[in-house]
Amino acid sequence: MIKLVIVFLTLYATAAVAVLEVTVLKKDENAFPIVISPFSVKGDAKQGEVIAHIMRDNFNRSGEFNASSADYIVTSQIDFGKWQAQKIEAVVIGKLEQVSEKVFNVEIELLDIYSRKTLYAKKFAVHDSGIRRITHYLSDQIYFALLGEKGSFDTRLAYVTVVDKGKRKREYRLEISDSDAQNPQTILRAASPILSPAWSPDQNKIAYVSFKNGRSEVFIQYPFMRRKTQKLPYFDGIASAPAWHPSGESIVLTLSKGGNKDIYSYHLKNDKLTRLTHDTGIDTEASYSADGERIAFTSNRSGQVQVYIKHLKTGKINRATFNGSYNAKAVFSPDGKSLALVHRVDRDYRIALLDIETKDLTIMTENKLDESPFFSPNGGMIIFATNKGDSGVLSVVSILGRETFELASKSGEVREPNWSHYSK
Amino acid sequence: MLKIIPLALSAILLSSCSSTVEELYQKVAPRPSVVNVEDRASATEESIIAPDSSRFESEEFTGSHERTYSQNSALKAAVGELKNTGIKFVLNFSYDGSEINEFATQEIIKHANFMRDNPSINLRLEGHADERGTREYNLALGENRALAVKEVLGLYDLSSRVEVVSFGEESPVIQLHDENAWQQNRRVEFIYQ
Repeated sequence: MIKLVIVFLTLYATAAVAVLEVTVLKKDENAFPIVISPFSVKGDAKQGEVIAHIMRDNFNRSGEFNASSADYIVTSQIDFGKWQAQKIEAVVIGKLEQVSEKVFNVEIELLDIYSRKTLYAKKFAVHDSGIRRITHYLSDQIYFALLGEKGSFDTRLAYVTVVDKGKRKREYRLEISDSDAQNPQTILRAASPILSPAWSPDQNKIAYVSFKNGRSEVFIQYPFMRRKTQKLPYFDGIASAPAWHPSGESIVLTLSKGGNKDIYSYHLKNDKLTRLTHDTGIDTEASYSADGERIAFTSNRSGQVQVYIKHLKTGKINRATFNGSYNAKAVFSPDGKSLALVHRVDRDYRIALLDIETKDLTIMTENKLDESPFFSPNGGMIIFATNKGDSGVLSVVSILGRETFELASKSGEVREPNWSHYSK
Repeated sequence: MLKIIPLALSAILLSSCSSTVEELYQKVAPRPSVVNVEDRASATEESIIAPDSSRFESEEFTGSHERTYSQNSALKAAVGELKNTGIKFVLNFSYDGSEINEFATQEIIKHANFMRDNPSINLRLEGHADERGTREYNLALGENRALAVKEVLGLYDLSSRVEVVSFGEESPVIQLHDENAWQQNRRVEFIYQ
């Protein structure tokens, strides 16, 4: 899985942009107390602090941990009793040794304070351009060693920023970043709106909706390849709401052939278009379950806006939401058991979690205009767009209902978040 | 699809166009070539301007929205002037609604008559939604609103001259978050070209 020296893909035709401001909203008192000690360093000391710092931020953003540093470098001669007295449950220690200008040897160890055992240890060499990425990978490993489930650190975000240029002109940017909002890159700039970015399962492509030709059309862009952006077929109306099949071989999208908005599947290899819904009302915002066997979509077929699930093998369509007059834009949790969706409460639009089996609906947020929910790849968090003051920001809530962090742009609005799958 | 709802049932489904078709006539009518019945009857003009149904279908099929404009410079000038008038025709809609009530139907019929009197002019209907609800659903809703207007124009055989696009909630006229802004943002704009 992990290579000795990771070589990084470069982005083509992009410019470095401002990093979104990350604000950790609340540290939970009951969150897992962990210490990530400063690393002992031979050579460039800066990189040692970079690793420990990124790791602490990762754990604190997850909402599951209360991560702090130590006043001194903790080594394997650790005083377990002392940390136990401070109610710390795990300590991460590390060593960094510079072996050449650009290459470092890294050693990391996760110690359980109560059992006094090593839960995870790793030794490897890394190129300095790979330190950020490797730290996310290690954070995922430590997260797994402690909680028995995957983290969502070595992943990427995609989102749209909007900057007001005055005189009713706006600039829309499609941006991608690491899961901690670092390393942001603009992959598309436009004077017209950009909607619904969606990472492909292999994390090499992004599908999105652009109005650059005066109407909504779906495009696929290859941010890491020198390859032309591909336009998906459209007819006389709108083409929008793209979502990937888990195989990465096809996309579901909304087309309004003859004015009737239905869900279609478009196969990228043979260009075959398959119609998946046949209602005279609006059918849109489809998304696949992780096994590819179901799609959830929004429809007003009942006269209200509600979420439906189609079982693709049987062709059977069931209404999924019965609570409230407006439920839309549902996405499946990675385990396929629940949907995150936009739910109207009185006059407000909030993010809710629906248990598909029991139909229990839990409202997760308390804002007025929340939209575009999307699960972190481990299913532990939901990222969504909301308004703060008069500007759009991204917010993340844990599925236990704890607000965890917020992503804001200094220069404008952020919206339309999408979280990638795990890196390959 | 088209529902003509009695006014009594649909209290404020639609408000009036912000400009009247009469104003439009005043801007364009002085140009004799535009509304002159003799000009309309001239064979060359007619064949270019009023496409037959087969041409319409092929146009829909290829997705091409290019239209053949008259070479007549006077007409061109009229269309140009129309673009520059700054007159905006807007129909507003109810929350999550795309119904056309009787009053709105009357307004649309005035546009139908205007288009028949000015066969070189085409119409672009832009559907919009307010910011509430999801962006993709609103994109669909905006198209439904524009299609509902087009359906009335279709009763006058004008479908081939009407282009429908939707911007959903992406292009509000008022960037505020209150009832008045939402009401004005739920609209179809008539753009003559």
